[in-house]
Amino acid sequence: MKTVTIDPKKCVGCRNCEMSCAYAQTGEDCIRTHANIRVNNYSDDRFVLPMTCFHCEEAWCMNVCPANAISRNGETGAVMIDQTKCAGCKMCILACPFGNIHFDHVALVSRKCDLCGGDPQCVKHCIAEALNFEEIDDLAERKRIGIDERVKMLAKKQ
Amino acid sequence: MEKVIKTLCRMCDDHCGIDVTVDEDKLISIQGNKEHSWNRGRVCIKGSRGVDMVTSEKRIMKPLKKTEDGFVEIELEQALDEIAEKMKFIQKTYGDASVGIWKGEAIGFAQQEEVARRFIHAIGSPNYFSNDSECFAGRWLGYSLVYGRWNAQPAFENAKTIVVWGGNPPHAHPNMTQQINRAREKGAKLVVIDPRYSAIARQADLFIQVKPGSDGALAWGVAKELIDKGYLAYDFIRDYTIGFDELKEYAQKFDYDYVAQETGMDAATMIPEFAEMIKESMSATVFYVGNGLEHHENGINNIRAVANLDGLVAAVDAKGGNYSPIGLPMGELTLYHEKPLKELHPIGADRFPVLYDFRQEYHTMTLMDTILSEKPYPFKGLILAGANPVLTNPNTNKVRAALCALDLFVVRELFMTETAELADYILPAASYLERSEFHGHGGKQVMTLTTRIFEPADGVQDEYQFLHDIAHRMGAGAYFPWENEDALNEWLIKDTGVSMETFKANPSGYNYAEPQYAKYADNVAKGKKAFDTPSGKLEFTSTYLKDLGYQELAEYFPPASNVVDPEYPMTMITGARKVMYYHGRNRNIDSLRSALPEGEVEISKADALKMDIQTGDWIRVTSKIGTMEIKAKVMEKIEISEGQIQITHGWKETNVNLITHDDRFDPISGFPLMKAVQVKIEKM
Repeated sequence: MKTVTIDPKKCVGCRNCEMSCAYAQTGEDCIRTHANIRVNNYSDDRFVLPMTCFHCEEAWCMNVCPANAISRNGETGAVMIDQTKCAGCKMCILACPFGNIHFDHVALVSRKCDLCGGDPQCVKHCIAEALNFEEIDDLAERKRIGIDERVKMLAKKQ
Repeated sequence: MEKVIKTLCRMCDDHCGIDVTVDEDKLISIQGNKEHSWNRGRVCIKGSRGVDMVTSEKRIMKPLKKTEDGFVEIELEQALDEIAEKMKFIQKTYGDASVGIWKGEAIGFAQQEEVARRFIHAIGSPNYFSNDSECFAGRWLGYSLVYGRWNAQPAFENAKTIVVWGGNPPHAHPNMTQQINRAREKGAKLVVIDPRYSAIARQADLFIQVKPGSDGALAWGVAKELIDKGYLAYDFIRDYTIGFDELKEYAQKFDYDYVAQETGMDAATMIPEFAEMIKESMSATVFYVGNGLEHHENGINNIRAVANLDGLVAAVDAKGGNYSPIGLPMGELTLYHEKPLKELHPIGADRFPVLYDFRQEYHTMTLMDTILSEKPYPFKGLILAGANPVLTNPNTNKVRAALCALDLFVVRELFMTETAELADYILPAASYLERSEFHGHGGKQVMTLTTRIFEPADGVQDEYQFLHDIAHRMGAGAYFPWENEDALNEWLIKDTGVSMETFKANPSGYNYAEPQYAKYADNVAKGKKAFDTPSGKLEFTSTYLKDLGYQELAEYFPPASNVVDPEYPMTMITGARKVMYYHGRNRNIDSLRSALPEGEVEISKADALKMDIQTGDWIRVTSKIGTMEIKAKVMEKIEISEGQIQITHGWKETNVNLITHDDRFDPISGFPLMKAVQVKIEKM
């Protein structure tokens, strides 16, 4: 199953992911607080980190939901909230260790990433390639290649 | 039945490859094209929301004529007839040069520039204008003066050190960011030089925060360090450059103390660190200069000083340096070889001869003075396509007065803009999905023919068709023999050796050549000049400039703002890009506007504390040119330095160009002072 992978060493905090997610969710606006992905920027620490649902294999939000509103999509592997079932109890927000679920104070339901049905817009708008939609094994391979390149450069210097 | 059609985006000047999904004649969505080498499937938010731009109900779809009762719709034929008649009358009354054309940035692809040049020249006027004379051409001049050309698309991916100098790709050229990151993934280092902690600075290995306009001092300081440490491409300097001895001598002045004093940076620590990075990469160093260096009174020499660094380490036409792409020999539309130009006294050409010599275009700031003063001659008619100088040129009030003083002002546009409101005629322009034009991604050596996905509605025209129709009505039809855009396209590629079928079969771009490095050496072997400069070498010293009365070396002159003016103690930067907008555009697209609904002045935490200013407070900003009001945004400590503010241009409601200078220029390029404007601020 593919998932959205995050490389904080590439994120420049441009917020195209937030804007495109907000549009995917609302169909009309690009307001970042409507997005399920969030970019956390700490300027004075020179650190920036985009965060979105990891669709955990053991999803605590899903386990804790008393309304059985959270389930895993068999096709995409996305852990999804059925807004028609969500009671607004916020247990999922308490359970998520990463803060990747937020509360919609207008519709009174919890909201989180649904992988856009298997074609996540955040990734397609990530002009820094900090976000990728990929198999976790492919991420590991990319990392290995990156390290190899660095070692190659070092070896050539010797 | 939905289908996906490939073409190029035109929501900014990067022209990313896009997949456009349509259902019959309905536009469904726009996404990045994975097969296009520039953006590899990714687009920014304005790229995908191009849907809202193209389908906007606010688009102008019928020709409009200004009457006493405001704008009224007229038929296209009537509009073309009347415009052509009035153009002819103005030329007959005031002379051929009393009319001009202005190419904007908003509609159409690269080839519209040459079509516009051809048109105005065909009717006997030399007066071609564009926004390039206040954005872009400065960098073109700076680099061209040193080594004959400038490549705006450096090959980041092979670089080992990337220096982003006064630019912010994530907001200005979004998909350059992935190219930079691909190099970083392989171990490349990133240096970012900027007064502001920009988006790209967030990932810099070395972030150097300099005072606006002091970049030349840093560049010379780095040159001195490279010379002192011997980190030089000696063979290249010996064989392919002139003026090294003069450069070496002049650089001695730029010791750490002087550079620190001028730039405000920790020169003694950072310059050696910077130089060590360059030592590791040498010719695989990309120095990428952004718009930040242009809008200064010492801009061109600062840019030349950076371009000199390319020469010192031979990062010229190198794999991983500033690569000089091979062009595709497209048909030339300009008429320089057929008709005189300089003899016709183009506006501003005597005032800023270098701009004229290198760009064959004229100075839009001087144009405003010319319209108002009728000196050196009356200028009465202007056709402007997709530009919005009321928001983007300095000194808005003068721009407005000048454009209102024209006898004939024709604007071709997608939307009613602040500039279009002043027009006598507004003609509806075809959007980028309604035209087929060539666009090259030079650095990639890829040429793409865009796809006309929708036929323009009745009364809506592309640039070529409009100028073709006017030229034929004005007796210059012989210069516009091609019936339409498609016929023109056939002619443009006649000498390329590539067929129309090939372009059509490659909607993700046709890769017409593989890279060839160090072409300067091949040039010499073939008995040609190594570089396209007067000496044929990379010029640390320019006799061309010396002969015109400028400095031979890229001498550094401190920006006026380095000495605090008690009356205007703050330094205002303008024009930092926001990714959802493109200069004056997109504020009328609700989806994009929701992301950043209004203009704001970025102010340092230290200044905000002193003046008891909080985010959202209204601030009055005053320069010697004028006054404006805008809400404050208090920044984190690193984001902007004490004593500096930043205001992004393009807002009608909070238009910073009300207070920028159209009377202080870089002496070589004529670029206006817009990024170190001395101002005072008050909380309202």
